Amino acid sequence: MRLLIVEDDAPLASGLQRILEAEGHAVDVTPRGEDAVAAASHEKFDLVILDIGLPQMDGFEVLRRLRATASDKTGPTPVLVLTARDAVEDRVRGLDLGADDYMVKPFAMPELTARVRALLRRSQAHGGPRITHGPLTLDTVARRAFLKNEPLELAAREWAVLEVLLAKVEKIVSKEAIIQAVAGWGDDLSPNAIEVYVSRLRSKLEPAAIRIRTVRGFGYMLEEFK
Amino acid sequence: MAGRSLRAHLLRLLLPPIAALLALGAVVAYYPSIEPATQAYDQALVDIGLALGSHIRVGQTEYRFDLPPAVEQVLRTDRFDSIYYRVMSPAGLEIAGDADLPAPPGDAMGHNTVYKGQKVRVVSVQAPCGRSACNVLVAETMVKRETLTRDLLLQSLFPDFLIALATLVIVWFGVKRGLQPLSRLSDEIKARSAGDLRPIDAAGAPEETRPLVGALNGLLDEVSAASRKQQRFLADAAHQLRTPLAGLQAHTELALAQPIPDACRAQLEQVHRATIRTARLANQLLALARAEPGARSSSENINLKDLAGAEAETWVRQSLSRDIDLGFELEPAPLDGDAFLLREALSNLVHNALEYSPGGGRVTVRTGRRNGHAFLEVEDDGPGIAPQERARVLERFYRVPGTPGTGSGLGLAIVREIAASHAASVFIVDGTAGGCRVGITFPHG
Repeated sequence: MRLLIVEDDAPLASGLQRILEAEGHAVDVTPRGEDAVAAASHEKFDLVILDIGLPQMDGFEVLRRLRATASDKTGPTPVLVLTARDAVEDRVRGLDLGADDYMVKPFAMPELTARVRALLRRSQAHGGPRITHGPLTLDTVARRAFLKNEPLELAAREWAVLEVLLAKVEKIVSKEAIIQAVAGWGDDLSPNAIEVYVSRLRSKLEPAAIRIRTVRGFGYMLEEFK
Repeated sequence: MAGRSLRAHLLRLLLPPIAALLALGAVVAYYPSIEPATQAYDQALVDIGLALGSHIRVGQTEYRFDLPPAVEQVLRTDRFDSIYYRVMSPAGLEIAGDADLPAPPGDAMGHNTVYKGQKVRVVSVQAPCGRSACNVLVAETMVKRETLTRDLLLQSLFPDFLIALATLVIVWFGVKRGLQPLSRLSDEIKARSAGDLRPIDAAGAPEETRPLVGALNGLLDEVSAASRKQQRFLADAAHQLRTPLAGLQAHTELALAQPIPDACRAQLEQVHRATIRTARLANQLLALARAEPGARSSSENINLKDLAGAEAETWVRQSLSRDIDLGFELEPAPLDGDAFLLREALSNLVHNALEYSPGGGRVTVRTGRRNGHAFLEVEDDGPGIAPQERARVLERFYRVPGTPGTGSGLGLAIVREIAASHAASVFIVDGTAGGCRVGITFPHG
């Protein structure tokens, strides 16, 4: 994958570059917002990691221009915003301008790489018929699932719940959100019914070390496959 | 006190000119009324003089005064005053009466003087006697006249007194009424929270208080500009600290991922831990600075439920590595507060619970309303805090002796400061399954 890092702090930028290169990405780095806008208009990046506190053109402006010039053919490039400020307005403004995720400095590198993977996965999944998560593959066109290349039997609602969780790996999905996504079949679903589907999914996926974590009182989180 | 009273000041300013005006009015009213009265009394004396003159008998060479005692009795009788007289011939010789009664000077008809120790009014009358005129002086003590003067004065002063009294009452209540907009203004300012630096709405204020409102707004503007500047400085300071810390963290993690000798690895791991601790400390100091009284920058309508929900993911990730069952019981808890600070308070409570709970433990985050008060709390099943330590753990940099880990001892102090900046209170009680329950109860909302 081709990544662009826009960060004016040289040690941090080089650290990020080396970590992401170690993950197998091709990484370009620029300290200037203007250069980032120019580069993004000429070339296609799979992800932009954008610092808000840049000299001259700040990250918000870069984000606004990236979004304004986004081409419709390839879909918008995901943007992960980095900030050293924690003001709520900054966070809201960043997300309003179309940032896909948001991280406050300093952060642990495993969390950054996890979020980068999640964003790349999400953008690749757009329009793609196949969703993969470790040894699990979902063919959304043929509606068939494979685990370790073996066919996996999933009931319709189990499939729907799994699809919701796969779309948000490492994110908490509330029971209400799952009910809304699954309730296309007409009848009302109780939170207890969701628990039943999740527990069936667990018994099928845990042998392959795919873990669905219960966040008590909130919902579920599909852990990143390690 | 009197020097500061607007009423006293206004009365001091108003009363002397009013008193002077009233006195002038009294004088102006007094003289026109005293003149005719004086003339009427003088005329009565002239009549007596003429009556006395008619009793002068003119002889060959002399004048004789022939006044029967009964008539003299009648003439001298008056209800209030004593009457004296002196009859002189045209040549100025004494004929009868009180020879020592002083004559008016010059041509004056009448004048006031003192006779036998009493104030008297003396009138000079030319009474016909023979072919020429005899001079008759008639004097009267002043009792009647002074009574009249007093009555006239009182009559004209009484309305003046009423006017002065009315002025007093009008000023007293008028000032109170006139100052009502000011007390409304002060009520509005009193009702504000320390962080509310919005300008005062001058629309409802009377014309005269506009300069005051303007000056206050100017001050509020300066204070809020200073506060914004401070917040900007804090944000910049945070930026300046956090970015290099992020770089340091990135490089230590990179280095740790390399194959390196064990001795180096142990030291690098120390550096890595110190980096994370420093970053957390920077965050905490920033939160402490922002929770300082007067530094509170924003008060907005927030719901603790949403606030906790938004951070849940971050906390769950932190709980994963320690295999702690982090749960949520979030009910709506709306209130006015600073979202950043409240998030920081809740984060500190969750961080403490995750840090001090044994692996595999259970931590629950709750928000909601209890007895009409919004609250947030975190319960764990860790070792708990001994009752005698509960007050001290809220102090800055205090750590319970023997506590494992690398905490700074700032977490709960920050929670307390943030609670204080929201006029809320911190509680620490036993948890239901061992451990403890720590949280904040808010005064309203």
